Amino acid sequence: MPITEILPRAIAIPPMLRPDGAGAAVRARNLGRSFAGNRVLADLDLEVRPGEFLSIVGKSGCGKSTLLRLIAGLDQPSSGSIGVDGLPADRAGDRLRIMFQEPRLLPWATIAGNVAVGLRRGPDPEAVAEALASVQLADKADFWPAQLSGGQRQRAALARALVSHPGLLLLDEPLGALDALTRLTMQNLIRDMHDRAGFTAVLVTHDVAEAVALSDRIIVLGQGGILKETAILRVGPTRRGSPELAAIEAEILDAIFAA
Amino acid sequence: MSLAETLKVQRLAGWRPSLPQPAALLPYAVPAAILVLWEIAGAAGLIADTVMPRPSAILATAVRMTASGELLNHLGVSATRALAGLAVGGGIGFALGIANGVSRRSELLTDATLQMIRNIPHLALIPLVILWFGIGEGAKLFLVALGVFFPIYLNTLHGIRNVDPQLIEMGRAYGMNGRTLFRRIVLPGALPSIFVGLRYGLGIMWLTLIVAETLSASSGLGYMAMQAREFMILDVVVLAILLYAALGKLADTLTRALERRALKWSPAYANH
Repeated sequence: MPITEILPRAIAIPPMLRPDGAGAAVRARNLGRSFAGNRVLADLDLEVRPGEFLSIVGKSGCGKSTLLRLIAGLDQPSSGSIGVDGLPADRAGDRLRIMFQEPRLLPWATIAGNVAVGLRRGPDPEAVAEALASVQLADKADFWPAQLSGGQRQRAALARALVSHPGLLLLDEPLGALDALTRLTMQNLIRDMHDRAGFTAVLVTHDVAEAVALSDRIIVLGQGGILKETAILRVGPTRRGSPELAAIEAEILDAIFAA
Repeated sequence: MSLAETLKVQRLAGWRPSLPQPAALLPYAVPAAILVLWEIAGAAGLIADTVMPRPSAILATAVRMTASGELLNHLGVSATRALAGLAVGGGIGFALGIANGVSRRSELLTDATLQMIRNIPHLALIPLVILWFGIGEGAKLFLVALGVFFPIYLNTLHGIRNVDPQLIEMGRAYGMNGRTLFRRIVLPGALPSIFVGLRYGLGIMWLTLIVAETLSASSGLGYMAMQAREFMILDVVVLAILLYAALGKLADTLTRALERRALKWSPAYANH
């Protein structure tokens, strides 16, 4: 049985059926970032459309994580500007959420308590329960993070990121530490949530197959800027491992290695 | 989750199956055996009562002194001194630990001085303290507070410094600032270390109090033991020593219970 049949993917909902204005737009202009005189990003222009799923790939140290941290407002650019819906990232509030490579759950809070961290305006048990149900963790609400598996913890982190219905979800290699099967399940979950909620997603990953499976567009980062840009048109359910996707994957890998 | 997975998670998290009932009594076996041997040796004349009175004699003394109210009086005085010293020294240590853990400026201002004072054995100050405070309550309070201060200060500072920076970054990314960040991430993250400091502090608290009461006091357990020594009432001396052991253990047990409640999220306490 091919793996796509074990792990069915929801049919992508056409953008016009999505709730209006659900996704935020990201715009970077002449973006630069140097660390101790070492230019990691230089004069980078990037635009992410509302509701788009964009992946950033590239070699280690190509600046993909730096770019994500700049979008998140966790780091400030050395030059140029970056904005989420026209606002600086640190003013985007709960419109912008980030998922890290580690779950980063508070060990002293229950899973429900951890999801509630994502809510700005006080506790809201209903919203928390809904978010937990959407990642299939409803029965784990009162567990401590230490009692969950790695995949479950990362799902709890996803629920925390999405409980406030953000317009932009930033993903910093969130599946890198998971085993291969759990990773596939998580990929489907993330893409499903994206298709249903309509948020904009920016994923940083070193796994090109993952980027191809999830994204509408992939950019290859290197030498401080964008080396290659590939749009992936999705009509109906995409089969993992189809010849078209394999060709795209090979093309992107070539671009990465050519850098 | 399958059973095998559950077991694996539990093992990784350091959980142990709970001990069956008889095993729970195991820690008491050695002390009980010592008491029995001691009693037998005393009764057989192997240990002279003038060197070491028998457990039964000590028990009788404890009953007699409890009935007269004398014992509880000394006990109450000692416990009050201990707790007052803990509250003052621990409170200041905790506050300075937090201030220096959070603020670089505060640390620069006070930490070097504190490290300097830390290297003076606080009991070496006894002659000076007696000159300052006489043998009043102030002397005991000062010594206990000084002794308790350092373990709590150092461990609070260490706990705050070692809060996972990734969690703090997460907190900031999720809109927490200053006060919220401290209450929800920094303080709970430092708590395990603060408890270590508290338990160290309790040990030093009793030690200091005993020494202080033995040298200069007119009431309290240490005074009771010193008076008894003057008149060669050996069973009271031994009773006082045993009470110190019991009080120390009681304080430790209470702290452990508090720790288990406060840190029940930690795998290290999950199955107790």
